[in-house]
Amino acid sequence: MRRLGILFRRMDWSVVLAVILLLGIGVAFIFSAGQSQSAAYQTLYLKQMLWAGLGIVCFLGFAFTDYHHWYHRAWWLYFLGLALLLLVFVPGIGVRISGARRWIQFAGVRLLQPAEFAKLGLILALARLFGAPARNPRHRRLILIGLGLTLAPFFLIASQPDLGTALVLLPVLGGVMLAAGVPARTLWGLAGAGALVLAAALILLLAPPALGWDEARHEILLERCGISAYQKNRVMVFLKRDADPLDAGWNKAQSQIAVGSGRLWGKGFQRGTQNILGFLPRTVAPNDFIFSVIAEEKGFAGSLTVLSLMAVIIYGGLRAALAAPDRIGRLLCAGITALIFCHVFVNIAMTIGLLPITGLPLPLLSYGGTFMVGAMSALGIVQSVYIRGERN
Amino acid sequence: MRRLLWLWSGMFAGLLLLLLALWRMQLGLGSQYEVSLERQSVRRVRIPGVRGRIFDRDGVCLADNRPGYGIAVYLEELRQAGRQARTVHAVRRLLDQVAGLTGMASPVSDRQIEEHLFYRRALPLVAWRNLGQREMARLAEAGAGLRAVDLVVDFERVYPQGAAAGHLLGYVGKLEHVDDEESYHYYLPDLAGRAGLERRFDEFLSGRAGGQLVRVDVAGFRHDEISARPAVPGGDLTLTLALDIQRAAERALEGVAGAAVVLDPANGDVLALASSPGIDPNWFCPVLPRTVWSRLLTDADKPLLNRALGGTYPPGSIFKPVVGLAALEQNVINATFTLDCPGSFKLGNQTFACYQGHVHGVVNLRRSLEVSCNVFFYQAGLMCGIEALQATSRMLGLGRRTGIAAEGEAAGLLPGRAWKQQARGEGWREGDTCNIAIGQGALLVTPLQMAVVTAAIANGGFVYRPRLVLGRRRTLSAGFQEEPPVMVRKINWRPGNLDLVRAGMLDVVQGSAGTGRRGQVPGVSVAGKTGTAEYGRKQDGRKHGWMIAFAPFEHPRYAVAMVVDEIATAGGAEVGPRMRQLLCSLFQVPEESI
Repeated sequence: MRRLGILFRRMDWSVVLAVILLLGIGVAFIFSAGQSQSAAYQTLYLKQMLWAGLGIVCFLGFAFTDYHHWYHRAWWLYFLGLALLLLVFVPGIGVRISGARRWIQFAGVRLLQPAEFAKLGLILALARLFGAPARNPRHRRLILIGLGLTLAPFFLIASQPDLGTALVLLPVLGGVMLAAGVPARTLWGLAGAGALVLAAALILLLAPPALGWDEARHEILLERCGISAYQKNRVMVFLKRDADPLDAGWNKAQSQIAVGSGRLWGKGFQRGTQNILGFLPRTVAPNDFIFSVIAEEKGFAGSLTVLSLMAVIIYGGLRAALAAPDRIGRLLCAGITALIFCHVFVNIAMTIGLLPITGLPLPLLSYGGTFMVGAMSALGIVQSVYIRGERN
Repeated sequence: MRRLLWLWSGMFAGLLLLLLALWRMQLGLGSQYEVSLERQSVRRVRIPGVRGRIFDRDGVCLADNRPGYGIAVYLEELRQAGRQARTVHAVRRLLDQVAGLTGMASPVSDRQIEEHLFYRRALPLVAWRNLGQREMARLAEAGAGLRAVDLVVDFERVYPQGAAAGHLLGYVGKLEHVDDEESYHYYLPDLAGRAGLERRFDEFLSGRAGGQLVRVDVAGFRHDEISARPAVPGGDLTLTLALDIQRAAERALEGVAGAAVVLDPANGDVLALASSPGIDPNWFCPVLPRTVWSRLLTDADKPLLNRALGGTYPPGSIFKPVVGLAALEQNVINATFTLDCPGSFKLGNQTFACYQGHVHGVVNLRRSLEVSCNVFFYQAGLMCGIEALQATSRMLGLGRRTGIAAEGEAAGLLPGRAWKQQARGEGWREGDTCNIAIGQGALLVTPLQMAVVTAAIANGGFVYRPRLVLGRRRTLSAGFQEEPPVMVRKINWRPGNLDLVRAGMLDVVQGSAGTGRRGQVPGVSVAGKTGTAEYGRKQDGRKHGWMIAFAPFEHPRYAVAMVVDEIATAGGAEVGPRMRQLLCSLFQVPEESI
């Protein structure tokens, strides 16, 4: 018990405070987003409170558990993640919701999104790979294995399809490798390769129409290259200002109006017209677009608050990495922080139209059980590293 | 360790980028997003102002608004998920429920509900209008249990005095198009003046429409009302009309087509302006049945025509005082000038007869007015010439609109050389002058013009623009703004000339041989002139009957012109009694005392 008290006191309290504040903000605005809607949405905030409670339990559990415990079971966890990802494709277990298989269900009850689990598994596996003592991070084989470890869940998640979540795995790999000391030249090379793939995709998307191809032919080509019409649409909506204003462009336009009309102080809690009147789509407002609700109702002040709290958490992650007693801890913190940062950046960037619409939730704020548990567990691991770290 | 700092810097830069983008969006471009927000979630609704009222000079209301209660259904509370047909069905069910409670059949079809959902979704659907007391009571009893139902008030135009001054007041219709400086998404029913004063003063009476902003949700249903600019009610008009005189004038015309105008010679106030057959503006509220409308349009008596100012008639003998004044002023005749009337007058090979070949013998001006001797005026007219006749007539306001603030005024026609050359391509002949001299030929006047002439003779040469609007009150708090009487000119007839004509006109009514004796009123000295104006083809022998009069002779308070479209005998015989009836009312003399 005394040991637990010491651990408790050694936690990074600025991060803990930020986490608790964000959880509270999330519950409050999920409440706000649900009030003008059907009964199921009105009580969503209660469920989110439950998830937050569960998240806090996981957070503390992981914080007080020595992270080496997970390090030793990294491969198990990684392959368990892959197995769960595969289960999504098993009829009867994987649920298809609006065209994507992201959930595993049991006896008709939606249990979890394996992608969230797999992310943690991947970070543990990468930490194990690069963090094991007496491994030379410059070794090319190590880098190739790391790449392979990442690409396996990447393709599984991308074929759900959920390209957005899949893409998040790449910066995580980058973060871990950077922290592990992989040579800069290699990292640049990988980044360059990624850029090339991105450029190729863009050319595939944009060039044929410019060359006068008809749409059907273009779509066939894209499909052969693994790009679905849906993804193409999302990207086109992002690139063209007013493309498809009623369908895919709607969320983007409405989210931008919501954020933009918030001004400095916002319209007030529960007063966001975009939110209350349902222009901000009711199904996405509590999860992917929760930031729009906050930005509309609390204005730039609210945006600044959320970003600052996120910065505290991210900075806390890096601090934990710096203080980590060993390389394993450092890599874990770097990977997790990169993951959190990617979610924050991509989600907010998409709500304000800087990036295409992807289904990436905002950590600690968006509604969702699996993601909440995953993110809180990850932050718990960071605390576990920090608690055991060296202080100067 | 340095690498971790790099990592942190990259992330920090990312967060900073987001912050800058948010700064630009929420603080820089924010207003632009606010505009798009407004555009997509706010609907402007035009709310008409309550129409102003019209009063007579004593404050009796001639045009008023009656609140009408209606039942409105708020669609946003009835909306159903899924297909629109389900919402329509829910509305239908509620309407049927209300219909059952109030005992009124629902006037709204499913199709109308659909249309309302399509075009006016943000507004409540007004299903019933003009509820009776009983329906209101029933609804109030059951109202508590009814969701999404509310009472709404709108105003309906009523004319409490029925057909009195109907032509003058005009009527209102539904406003079709609104050309406002602001554009609205929705318009509530509004009224627009369609005829008469309602049209003439439409802008003043209708006030200024207010606007309401209705916030709608993503499906277009009403969410709340944001703010409203209240409608400004229209201003009130007070007329110079005196309802009792107006009524008396209309009574005097009972059973015939014709018109009567009563002016106050002292200031040109229009005390009555009656046209028969009359119309009741209430027919047009809220909507005139098509059959009634077509009957009004095709009726041979032209009930829609306001004869008092829009009907043009040859004046006949009532023009003679004007001719007399012109001749006197031209010095071609004087008080002692006499002529012998053999019953007709030969001009070249043309013969101009006295009325029905009367032989008046030796007559002077005064006598020739009393007996209405045509021969005298043929020659008097010829002696002073058409130009002088025209000039005097023009000074008295003939041949052009008086400028009364009413709709549908006609100018009449004051012919002369130039007119004939232009209209007929012929030169002016002396015979034309003879015809004009007895108020025939191409000469056309309106009853209102003749009332102005009569008033000018009565008041010593002051020609007023007939004043119909005594004043207006723009708002309840604003003061009453009087419209001052407008004197068009003062005619400086030489003293004695006017007295002579007036004396002749007094003889017309009070003299033993006067043609207007039937216009006598006990205890009141009445002066006047009768007229029998032929029109149409000669062989048809159709005649208008006229009489002008002013009284009391010494200090005239009323100047009256009256015309009856169709008479069988003579103006004095047929219009005279009607004139007497009207004058008796004016001076409150019981008619039986005669």
